[in-house]
Amino acid sequence: MGKEILPVRFAVLDKVLNLARANSLWPMTFGLACCAIEMMATAMSRFDLDRFGAAVYRATPRQADLMIVTGTVTKKIAPVFTTLYDQMPSPKWVIAMGNCAISGGPFAFEGQYSIIEGVDLLVPVDVYVPGCPPRPEALLEGFLKLEEKITKTRRFPGPEKRW
Amino acid sequence: MVEEVKSGISQLLRERRPVEEPYGEKGYHLSVDMAPKDLIDVGRFFKEKGFYLACALCVDFRDYLELVYFFAHHEGHCRVKVTSRLDPQAPYAPSLSSVFGSALWYEREIHEFFGVRFEGHPNMAYLFLHGGIDFYPLRKEKVMVSEEDRALLNSFRPEEGEDTFFINLGPQHPSTHGVLRVVLKMDGEYIERAEPVMGYLHRMHEKMAENRTYLQFLPNTGRMDYLGAMAFNLGYVTAVERLCGIKAPPRAQYVRVIATELNRISSHLLWLGAYLADLGAMTPFLYVFDDREQILDILEGITGSRLTYCYFRFGGLFNDVDEDFITGVRRFIARMRGRFQIYDDLVTKNVIFINRTRNVGVITRETARQYGVSGPVLRGAGIAMDMRKKEPYAAYGEFDFSIPTGSYGDAHDIYLVRFKEMEESLNIIEQALNGLPEGPIMAEKVPKKLKPPKGDLYHVVETPRGELGIYIVSDESDIPYRMKWRVPSFANLMVFPELVRGCLLADAIAILGSLDLVIPEIDR
Repeated sequence: MGKEILPVRFAVLDKVLNLARANSLWPMTFGLACCAIEMMATAMSRFDLDRFGAAVYRATPRQADLMIVTGTVTKKIAPVFTTLYDQMPSPKWVIAMGNCAISGGPFAFEGQYSIIEGVDLLVPVDVYVPGCPPRPEALLEGFLKLEEKITKTRRFPGPEKRW
Repeated sequence: MVEEVKSGISQLLRERRPVEEPYGEKGYHLSVDMAPKDLIDVGRFFKEKGFYLACALCVDFRDYLELVYFFAHHEGHCRVKVTSRLDPQAPYAPSLSSVFGSALWYEREIHEFFGVRFEGHPNMAYLFLHGGIDFYPLRKEKVMVSEEDRALLNSFRPEEGEDTFFINLGPQHPSTHGVLRVVLKMDGEYIERAEPVMGYLHRMHEKMAENRTYLQFLPNTGRMDYLGAMAFNLGYVTAVERLCGIKAPPRAQYVRVIATELNRISSHLLWLGAYLADLGAMTPFLYVFDDREQILDILEGITGSRLTYCYFRFGGLFNDVDEDFITGVRRFIARMRGRFQIYDDLVTKNVIFINRTRNVGVITRETARQYGVSGPVLRGAGIAMDMRKKEPYAAYGEFDFSIPTGSYGDAHDIYLVRFKEMEESLNIIEQALNGLPEGPIMAEKVPKKLKPPKGDLYHVVETPRGELGIYIVSDESDIPYRMKWRVPSFANLMVFPELVRGCLLADAIAILGSLDLVIPEIDR
């Protein structure tokens, strides 16, 4: 076996693996605040996250490969939060859902001593979903964006450009 | 009842007299100021009379710290404000925890935010704050944390012993509904002691209130209790209206009731799904979200948001309701009445569910009074107290509805109470729709910048989880001087360590679920 063939083979294998990963994201159950309810709504009857293979919520980080940060991360939970992230096996992804997770949201004010203004200060974030809280459609779009990031192709055509 | 308390306190305290207050403006009937040393005697007096400690808080007036206790009665209509002034340099007060169980946590809360030390308190460890905070957050001047308090910062540290086994329930646990942590001391499969640790979502709403105007604080209310956002909105709006003497027109009041009751149903539905998911049943979760989405569609049409509503304004509403809304609500009522039968067949008569919840977490009336429990948990224990009926706000006084109560106080009774409450809510909505008056939706001449007169107010509303008390101190500026939120989940969680003592770990989940906690509301 020549050395030069190996990278090609692995690239193909990676592509297949990524396709599998993107279509079976297993998020971790880690509801923090209001956005967690919208995350639940996304997984439930109407929005049906199962269509994208991503509604297998795991209660333990060791079985999950996606962390959806749904709410304010305070300084008190930050060590717990980073531990959970470290416990997740690679490859792993993070969606920052809602303004609190993105930047502290409405709770960043002068004299605030308790929150971390943006979860990207703690862990690398792949997709940001803005809103307070974001609608389930927005979270679905976040999932599609993440799939696009993993596989480099978009599964569904994006929303039509109106302007 | 007010007279009885007044004469009783007059006899107890020879030199201080209770003052009768205008209930309509203040929200309490009597106020009495006393030296800190008399607090315990007065606490015992209220305990004998069957009162419960509704709320304890502290206000920093710069020259002195004022401790405020609110005592209220479940049956009688009487609320008493007891105050005591402390020296801000060395704030010491006797602990009421030997008299009222609910004082345990309120005093810890006051201690960490104001630095007041309570003598005789069994455990002064911090509830909310974490290490690294070196000042008392709610003091008006920056006061550094004393050395002895710094040692208490790392909250609960279980003592080691022979044959003890500790389990950390949370903060990341699917059945704590958020980020609550409970440290359980186990004896085999049985729980010896439970110690909740909070503050993982502490965002300091009360400090935020002191930083912004009354209107700017309005969106915060929906983020405190995201499931009952309408009820919190309504509580805050009616409190400020009462403080400023604004009267909302009748149409606005009716729409407020309809929106709040719809929100109450959606909150109870979510509880139903989540509770049963905790107990191992997945199917109801899918059913309730189907119904819940119908409510969210209706509310989205008038408020523009799905979850954290900000629909009410001081003096009225953000916008008027239209025909679509009314037909939508009518259609929903008809649909929901049929769905109850499905839930009844699916859940209420389910043998596994009955076995999981019968005789689990029995709350006696005495325990409920001791810890100031409220809402469906209290009604499950057989005490028919509902603020919608007892102290009607908005238009609740005009509707005919009953208060469902349990008889035994276990988790199953609490489930039945919540279930019947949804049916009652439908009745209220139907009555409000039938009698919906025409007219304006905003009061005239509401100033853009509200400057309430000097004074204070304790306003109570009934949220899906229980009694919400809002205490506002105004200093005539457009920013509240102090705002305290007496949240129902906090008081309901207090009873949890008492309930789980000696029961199985699996039952602790059933008990925790039956309390219906919303963590951001506890942590604020």
